[in-house]
Amino acid sequence: MAPPDLEQQIAALHPASFAWALACTRWNAAEAEEALQSAYLAILEGRARFDGRSAFKTWLFAVVRNMAARGRRRLWMEAQMPWRWMSAGRDAQQAGPLDAVASEERGALIRRALAQLASRQREVLDLVFFHELTVEEAARVMGVSAGSARVHYHRGKLRLLALLGPEEV
Amino acid sequence: MSSEDDEARLRAALAEAHRRDAEVTPSFARAWRGARTPSRRGPRWLVLSAAVAAVAVALVVWRNQAPAPPGISLPAGTQWVGPTDFLLQTPDLITLRTAPTLDLGSDPYLHPPTDGRDLR
Repeated sequence: MAPPDLEQQIAALHPASFAWALACTRWNAAEAEEALQSAYLAILEGRARFDGRSAFKTWLFAVVRNMAARGRRRLWMEAQMPWRWMSAGRDAQQAGPLDAVASEERGALIRRALAQLASRQREVLDLVFFHELTVEEAARVMGVSAGSARVHYHRGKLRLLALLGPEEV
Repeated sequence: MSSEDDEARLRAALAEAHRRDAEVTPSFARAWRGARTPSRRGPRWLVLSAAVAAVAVALVVWRNQAPAPPGISLPAGTQWVGPTDFLLQTPDLITLRTAPTLDLGSDPYLHPPTDGRDLR
């Protein structure tokens, strides 16, 4: 069982964690919530333990990212299964309110541009420019070397700037 | 455009992308409570496993209950010979069942006659 201070720390980071889960799932609200709940469950069951080797936020984001990746793999596998009808209800849930509300807004355009990036490029840009992590901390969240994260960061920046176009300023 | 400008632009773009996040963020209590409930995927996988097991059992039962093909009955005193049986009649059909032995006792070179006959 998680100690109360751990629960408080997680609660304080909950909005940021959900925003990060959204970025990991290409702004699919249902998938993001599933990933976040799976991360919390892993922490409660002791499958994910904070060992103090990094900042708490970095560790929590890494757990959320792993769970989002696991969820993506599971969804992919379910899509290949012949008994796909069993997940029909879940598919219907996946169109979150964001998709309905934000079809024409500028944020939706930016999210579409972000969705065109490679996942690691998108992740490092989100961690650095939205969550204010350093590239080295982002590397720890993503489970890659700092050098690799720097490459994803530079390539992602160039690609996103190109996708946004000159009039986006 | 300078690097600082680019970074400011990307920062603003990411903030815009996340602007509506709060609208869909579930409450912490809900997410935490959801995580505390027993595994959400358990029953679904249980149903799948039970369905696969049921299909396997049904297949086994069906195979065991399927009627055997009717046997062929030949008229009494006849024997059926397959059209390709001759292929089994190979030249080396007669095989040696024991190792061959030589009767060395009758070899005249090993046991020359004692009656003075010349073998040459």
